[in-house]
Amino acid sequence: MAQTEKFVLNMGPQHPSTHGVLQVQVELDGENIAGAKPVMGYLHRGIEKLMESKTYAQCVPLTDKLDYVSAMNNNLGFCLAVEKLAGIEVPERAQFIRVICAELNRIASHHVFIGSLTNDLGSATGMIYAFRDREKILDLFNIICGARMSCHYPRIGGVAADAQEEFFKLTQEFIDYVPQMLDEYDKLFAGNEIFQARMKNTSIISRKDALRFGMSGPNLRASGVEYDIRKIDKYSSYDKFDFDIPVGTTGDNWDRYMVRINEIKESAKIIQQAMDNMPDGPFMAKVPKMFKPPKGEAYHRVENTRGELGFYIVSDGTTKPYRVHIRRPSFINLQALDHMCKGMLLADAVTAFATIDPLMGEVDC
Amino acid sequence: MGIYFDLKYFQQLQTEFPSVEFDAEEKEPKLYVSADELLPLMHRLKENSIWAFDRMANITAVDYKEYIEMVYILYSRRFDMWLTVKVKLPEEDTKVQSMTQVWPGTEFEEREIYDLMGVDFINHPDMRRILMPDDYPAHPLRKDFVPLQPKIQGGVLTWHKQKSSS
Repeated sequence: MAQTEKFVLNMGPQHPSTHGVLQVQVELDGENIAGAKPVMGYLHRGIEKLMESKTYAQCVPLTDKLDYVSAMNNNLGFCLAVEKLAGIEVPERAQFIRVICAELNRIASHHVFIGSLTNDLGSATGMIYAFRDREKILDLFNIICGARMSCHYPRIGGVAADAQEEFFKLTQEFIDYVPQMLDEYDKLFAGNEIFQARMKNTSIISRKDALRFGMSGPNLRASGVEYDIRKIDKYSSYDKFDFDIPVGTTGDNWDRYMVRINEIKESAKIIQQAMDNMPDGPFMAKVPKMFKPPKGEAYHRVENTRGELGFYIVSDGTTKPYRVHIRRPSFINLQALDHMCKGMLLADAVTAFATIDPLMGEVDC
Repeated sequence: MGIYFDLKYFQQLQTEFPSVEFDAEEKEPKLYVSADELLPLMHRLKENSIWAFDRMANITAVDYKEYIEMVYILYSRRFDMWLTVKVKLPEEDTKVQSMTQVWPGTEFEEREIYDLMGVDFINHPDMRRILMPDDYPAHPLRKDFVPLQPKIQGGVLTWHKQKSSS
């Protein structure tokens, strides 16, 4: 009888399907996966340590580089945590502009997900389509803050500059385009037989397992748990908008894809409502130049595009934070990777890496 | 935003776990507990159905020079309730029970704390560094940390203390 033994294959850190510098040690039994261990740290920049030597305002641009495809959401999370610590009341107009930007960024981030997923499945066309549409959002960010990816637009106390008419006009054009865009995606991907065969009933995470791994965001919702911080915490006037939480049923790759597609629809709905009811008024609260929050600590979480992003800040009463800890959703979601890959074929591991959607800037911090 | 753990529960826990301390004057009192009683307390907080803290929202450590403080922020989905539990660890003995025994999803976060802050977790399934190189000799998030100089000697990467610039 032929003897077989387990074989360890290193995928990454330089591998086209691992989304940045993620290394996965895949243990193979023939073509079946017996285990998958993520190895991290190739992009570790020490942002938490770096923040201890910067003033609060200087920390905000550092958060851009956490999840670099959804910078607005990270800025927002940090600003809200500092505002909670210092008790700053943000004007309503600023809150609405923040919501528009965060939701636009959510759509842009899901474009990256769709693009990289279809690219990994062998359809480079899909990536071109998704990135074509993402470009439109990045151009909107260019108008509102002069930067396309590292926005640094939400600031402590409000936003950097008021949004102009031109921005609202072009955002409206984009929102009107969203149904047509999703229709195109449905025809291109969801209707494709090969795409369905690769996605349906692969890498299933059950509801119980998803909760056990501490997952959050679209990955958790795909497993059927209705858990969205925007609904629960109602931060930044999210309670004024009417939107649904898309959830999946089985928690397979297909659900993880569909949840994100439906989230794009919901985000478009939120942006439309925010633009229709945009209040007038100042875009920035009065924050002293020499900003010193009182002694104490605060934890604030927001719904990032990848899940529950939390900032824990300890202040010692000086201009610089004493300690900042960032709860990064992709870092925690990655714990499920081993469970997702076990028993699957090696070719399906690539799909699992794509649908769990880790972003290494956030994982390594 | 949710509600915070009720004061009467604090007193209830205090009768059960003698080392539990809290400042009743505070708006959102933190629950301090000794390292020995942490694990049974956490089991109680998670499994008792009147709190049902099913999520470890955030777990981190803060270096206060004389001691290292573990900070556990718990969240209950059912009651939308929060609680902060803290454990003070003396600098010479930074060992604490691993929370993976209660919430398995804290595995990576505890590895990160071990890596960056140098806290040892007892009964952790895979206690290795996660972000820094495996043979890195220091814990960067400690307040007394001085960056080390990488050097390649005989094809092997080693780390050296910086010479003082004075």
